[in-house]
Amino acid sequence: MLRDDFVIQTNVRRILIRSHIDYSEIDFGTVRGVVYIQGVFKVGTSKDTEDIIGKTLRSLEMKIRSIPGVVDVKFQLLNWKKEKGQWMPTKKVE
Amino acid sequence: MDADKKSRIRRLKGKQVKLYKQISIEVEGKIQIYPNYADLHNQFGLLSMVEGDPEGAKSHFLEALSLNPKYREATLNLGFLYIEMKRWKEAEDIFLSEARKHPKDGFLHHTLGVLYFQTGRQKEALVHIRKAIQCHPYYRDYYKKKGVWHRGKVLLDQKRERAFKKIHLNYHYAQFHNFIGLYLARKGKSTQAVRELKKAAKLTPDDFLFHANLGNVYYYQGAYRKAIQEYKKALEIDPLYGMGYANLSYTYGLMDRTREALRYMERAVRLSPRYADLHYNLALLYSDRKRYEKAISELKKALRINSDYLFARINLGVLYEEQKKWNEARREYRKVLQITPDNEDVRRRLERIS
Repeated sequence: MLRDDFVIQTNVRRILIRSHIDYSEIDFGTVRGVVYIQGVFKVGTSKDTEDIIGKTLRSLEMKIRSIPGVVDVKFQLLNWKKEKGQWMPTKKVE
Repeated sequence: MDADKKSRIRRLKGKQVKLYKQISIEVEGKIQIYPNYADLHNQFGLLSMVEGDPEGAKSHFLEALSLNPKYREATLNLGFLYIEMKRWKEAEDIFLSEARKHPKDGFLHHTLGVLYFQTGRQKEALVHIRKAIQCHPYYRDYYKKKGVWHRGKVLLDQKRERAFKKIHLNYHYAQFHNFIGLYLARKGKSTQAVRELKKAAKLTPDDFLFHANLGNVYYYQGAYRKAIQEYKKALEIDPLYGMGYANLSYTYGLMDRTREALRYMERAVRLSPRYADLHYNLALLYSDRKRYEKAISELKKALRINSDYLFARINLGVLYEEQKKWNEARREYRKVLQITPDNEDVRRRLERIS
């Protein structure tokens, strides 16, 4: 379903604001229904384990994919990557 | 009042006191970890003041100001605290200095009026009350409502005078409820946050910030109509508040009302032209409406502000590609790949048109 990029963008924005994600180092954009998320992924507290962060990423991806009009979600994170369907940390972020 | 109602009020107050104490402990803990954060000292000052510890409040406001001498909120908080402590000279110095910096701020003149009345300097008080009325019609209505102003004259009998002298406390309590509201909002307790922010807005209805914050909490809750109402109230008070227009635009976007979203984002960009993000959002709105030249122009502006704005560059490449401007599209995609070489999506787009 075709939907305005701006409408998708505002929905992504609200999802990020409502989550426990620290989005201060995250940028996002929407290009013809494809959502890009880029930057350093952190959640609210530093105590969260990799397992919790992995789950948060899966949940974020699901929520964004469920926005009407979203064709795809591309993550370009500096500290996490998806391999064989699993989110893995790539390096520690200070 | 029936016994049930009385006991409910008592319980509510008890709950609030408990909440404020809990927040106070948390803020104090944060100060131990981050002793150089002026914000935390200002917040703790407010909490101390409401808890009835003016000396503690003073030391934290002063600490906030030693960390950041330009911290206006802490300066005003200290000034009001001095009024409360009847340290008139220190309070007068603060508000006179602020009024010189912001001569059109009605609230400062209003405060000076209150201060001079308190110290029996009626003539000076009148001058500042008149200035407050000139600055904002809100004050004329306010003084009228309180029975202080009638047909161009200030009327103060003993009862009115007592009430008038307490008016300055509104500022403090408004700041306090605003802080508590934001604190609760950050914790996801938006219903309680709304309650606190409404108290703040009621105490100083001419402060745009409280309405803007209320708008943000409603936005967070998903109560978009209420969010719009509050953002509009904030903009009535301060029509130059650029981010207020952006917030309105985002909210209309969530409601799929892109025509209004476009109108408000255009205003936001006019008022805050240095935010790359606003140009980017405006470009999306133009692009969605197939106004490609305008979209390209906004994306270029975003990139002039932040040349590493990746999505603006991808959007620009896609727009050029759709207009069959192959060279320009290739140029933008190559730049994206310089920043993120593993961007497969853009690599494929580039290969397709190479």
